[in-house]
Amino acid sequence: MSTLDKAHTSTRPVPNPKRSLITRLHMGTGVVVGIIIAAIAYYLLKHSVLTYTDGVADPLEPHSNNIVLLGTMFAWSIGFMAGIGAFIGPWRWLIGKDLTDEEILYMAGDGQGVKRYFKYCTDHKVVGIQYLVGVMTLLGVGGTMAMMIRTNLARPGGHFVTATVYNSLVGLHGITMIIAMIIVATGPFGNYVMPIMIGAYDMAFPRLNALSWWVLFTAIPVLCSAWFLGGIPTGWTAYAPLSVQAGPGMNAFIATIIIFAVSTAVAGMNITTTVIAMRTKGMKWNRVPIFVVGSTISVALAIPAFPTFMVAMIMTGLDRTYNTGFFDANMGGSGWLYANLFWIMGHPEVYVILIPGVAALMEIVPVFVRKPLFSYNAAIMGFAGIAGLSILVWAHHMYIAGWAPSLNGAFMVTTEMISIPTGLLFLVLIGTLWRGKPWMKLPMLSVFAFIWDFLIGGITGIYLSDVPADGYLHGSMFVTAHFHFTLMGAALTGAIGGLAYWFPKMTGRMLDEKAGYISFWFVQIGFNVLFFGMFMAGAEGQPRRVMDYAAMFKNSNLVSTIGAYSVGTGMIILLWAVIHSSRHGKVAPMNPWGAKTLEWTVPYPVPLTNFDELPVITSDPYGYGKGK
Amino acid sequence: MSHDTQFHVHHDSDAAVGRRERLGVRLLIVADGSFLFSMIFSYFYLRNLNTGGNWLPKGVKHYTPSSAWQVAIPFVIAAICHRLGQENKERRNLTSIATLIVLLVGGYLQWKQMAHMPFLLKDDGGVVTFNGAYASNWVLMAGTGIFHYFLGAFIALGILIRNRTTNVSHELDVWRQRTAQSWFTWCAIAAVLTAFTLSIV
Amino acid sequence: MANSSEHTPEVLAPTPGERLTNFFKRKDVRRTTIHFFLWTALFVVLGLVYYPRWMPEIMSKEMKSAESIMIWFTVISAPIAGIVLAIASNSFMNMHRGDTPPEDGPAIRTHGPIVAIWTVGSLVFALVAIGWGLIEVNSQAVAAARDAKSAITVEVTGSQWLWTFNYPAQGIETHNLNLPVGVPVIFDVKSADVNHSFWPVQLGVKVDANAQVTTVIYTTPTKVGAIDVKCAELCGLYHAYMETDGAVMSQSDFDAWVLAQGGHKA
Repeated sequence: MSTLDKAHTSTRPVPNPKRSLITRLHMGTGVVVGIIIAAIAYYLLKHSVLTYTDGVADPLEPHSNNIVLLGTMFAWSIGFMAGIGAFIGPWRWLIGKDLTDEEILYMAGDGQGVKRYFKYCTDHKVVGIQYLVGVMTLLGVGGTMAMMIRTNLARPGGHFVTATVYNSLVGLHGITMIIAMIIVATGPFGNYVMPIMIGAYDMAFPRLNALSWWVLFTAIPVLCSAWFLGGIPTGWTAYAPLSVQAGPGMNAFIATIIIFAVSTAVAGMNITTTVIAMRTKGMKWNRVPIFVVGSTISVALAIPAFPTFMVAMIMTGLDRTYNTGFFDANMGGSGWLYANLFWIMGHPEVYVILIPGVAALMEIVPVFVRKPLFSYNAAIMGFAGIAGLSILVWAHHMYIAGWAPSLNGAFMVTTEMISIPTGLLFLVLIGTLWRGKPWMKLPMLSVFAFIWDFLIGGITGIYLSDVPADGYLHGSMFVTAHFHFTLMGAALTGAIGGLAYWFPKMTGRMLDEKAGYISFWFVQIGFNVLFFGMFMAGAEGQPRRVMDYAAMFKNSNLVSTIGAYSVGTGMIILLWAVIHSSRHGKVAPMNPWGAKTLEWTVPYPVPLTNFDELPVITSDPYGYGKGK
Repeated sequence: MSHDTQFHVHHDSDAAVGRRERLGVRLLIVADGSFLFSMIFSYFYLRNLNTGGNWLPKGVKHYTPSSAWQVAIPFVIAAICHRLGQENKERRNLTSIATLIVLLVGGYLQWKQMAHMPFLLKDDGGVVTFNGAYASNWVLMAGTGIFHYFLGAFIALGILIRNRTTNVSHELDVWRQRTAQSWFTWCAIAAVLTAFTLSIV
Repeated sequence: MANSSEHTPEVLAPTPGERLTNFFKRKDVRRTTIHFFLWTALFVVLGLVYYPRWMPEIMSKEMKSAESIMIWFTVISAPIAGIVLAIASNSFMNMHRGDTPPEDGPAIRTHGPIVAIWTVGSLVFALVAIGWGLIEVNSQAVAAARDAKSAITVEVTGSQWLWTFNYPAQGIETHNLNLPVGVPVIFDVKSADVNHSFWPVQLGVKVDANAQVTTVIYTTPTKVGAIDVKCAELCGLYHAYMETDGAVMSQSDFDAWVLAQGGHKA
């Protein structure tokens, strides 16, 4: 409802809204209330729905058990949100007692130091840091699972983990990484940097901003609980009917996705509204920094995309709890319905992941090459073209599903067409590099890595989208390698470049360069070795998601595992560098890279309201270069 | 982290805040629209596949289309009621009560239909089963209807209370009436689309 | 205007040909060109050498078509990859190090013809890929329709974690997939439980197995040899072990095998 404004003549102390519940709530109360509500829900559900045979709960009746577990998980999420104070705003609106200015200031975390990171804090910079820590945690957890998968696959016949654990590792690695990658750039940078880049005091809906983070936070313990409930056997795609028949761990997956979908819808709507409605004076659409454009297109694409996944998960949940028959062929349902709903979300989603990463690198290149971004319009057409086409290509994941072979040709056409806007993205990058002398700092290294990785991912994507080749390659390790090249090699590299670039603004210190370089080469060389091996295994005919393989695949898998350990080493070094530099790194000047976007015009720590006076923009931020 | 300076809350103009809020709600409507699209897609997809001839419940009297319209009409009335009081604070005292009552009645009707659905099977142990894919789709759409009714009633109650209090910004609330109108209109459209879908058995 | 005639040679705008020559005389352009050839060659070699080495023996037309798409699309995209990587690698080698930013480069905001050529180029590239794919898909469908009469049918059932092959005309049921060479075959695939994906690897085709519905793929084995059958859709605990083998054999060997299994000649 309001943003915050700096007052020049004020004598008020730290805001202290008297008798306001807000001052008493924080993450701790959230956890306590969440657990209490979850316990009550568990108790009530258990005694109302569990099936009893002769006074003993019937272990053969999984549906009731699923009701209890799903109900408990949602109760935890809602209880936590109540306990941290998320519902105070709506409640006060309902009873007609709007939040006072002091309460709003208090909720923005004014003058509360480190404590505000553990509160329902509406300051976009706090939310950005919360997202950064959350993303790094998820990437760490997902990466550890990847290391365990590769360890198991190092030699044929490896039994480092059991089959149940292996399948859970594959599925949970997948979903953890997908969630992490969806928020990896738009979470930390979209929240911390983007409002400053467009010259805004705050996000359009600060309370919803806090909501999107804390809702996501409640999903993390739910996802982790899958391990204690027997894991998930389905992979991250959770295809029905396997997911319907799966054990209790599947409930954790379903609850996580539904909670995450709420978070994404709220965050996407918030960022989109902020960019549309809160750009500062003079920031016309052709002067908006390209990272802002890319992130906005990405989250705006997520708004309609994720509800289809949410519906698919609700249906899975209903099939598992109330015996509906959405995906059960014996009851008139079909697994193809799930696959369709899933991929209608699934393909836009990979571009939701990719676009902000590319956009971050496009923000970086002009600064380090000291040249204007080559063809701003082509970049926007590239993003918009990708976003538009991505809605029409979902069934290329289902060429061999047999549901509509006659449509394969049509989907092949739309899919191959994506290479045109993708080509524009490459053109923008190499056009900016052309005749430039790149300043070889950490962020710039990521640009080169991105170009190589995304090129490989793109070319292999061209054959995967051709139906006859997909007939051989679908479901093989080749696909796994392909999408890791696009999601990890391209999008994660872009996000790491963004981290190195915006680190000084977010922490006030420079990222340790030496550690950064070492990490970069460990990760990039390891990554290419890892997925070169996986391309090889896939071309040789190894299916994906297998815990064991024939002896003929042993060389390619060993290569992959060696590469994986190198990536792991590099990531640990990067993690160390981030943690160490944020505390002891060299203190950063206000504008260490000499960039022209607005976030570099504010000091560190960034004042609560970002700007003393909102800046007025007269040109786009790419006015580098001489001549012409 | 210390702040040398103090801050106070900055209020943008009511029109700016109001437009922003309405844009946000419309974006959420896009998300809800996608949700509705997925359900309608599923309905026609499964109806078309009719796997094993199990689309309609076997041996059970099935749902009549008129009941689907029964729960859609309150949404339409609520949207019209809200529209009548949207620009007029005095009239809103009356229309907001009407909106709330209509939504509660609609929610009750929907609830009653769910509790007495003819294709719901319950065995001795209390295990619930839905007979056929049509029933599955129906129950999901009905659940979404309940959610819309609940949310609508919350908004209508808030409008009712706020219209009678003096300490809120009524200039901003004028904009919020328009924002709420977007939501109520959407709910009516969604309910009609749902009823239309369910009519094609 | 009168005195400009003295300087005519200098003032005359260079012809497009001259501009092109001058362009390629520039040092950075020459270096980029060398990089371009190196990168292009790398991708051509990757495509032509590695895929045939990695991929299993080609035992059907479908497999041949999959492999040629992988090889030739790599070769076709090699020049595009070459341009992108050449500019990137040349720029990388031209790096500036140190703690201060380099001097500003030329302020090239955009270049209409380049953007247009690039877009048209990628459109042509996409159309080639689409055309190639559509022709292949169509010819496979035509072949399947033509061969349907002379084909043998194999009913494939996937169940957790076992493949079962039923030859209705021969009246046998086995867990090994044996096929006569040169005879078109129709696989009618279904599942007894969750989704599986039927993948006779060397035949280069694949289709999902679903409960209650039958999905169909066609192929014609063209060569005698061993085949592996795998499951390509995660189907639960022992997905990795849901595999079996079989062989493409001569018609007489196949008939003998059918008889040995207790079946009869179709």
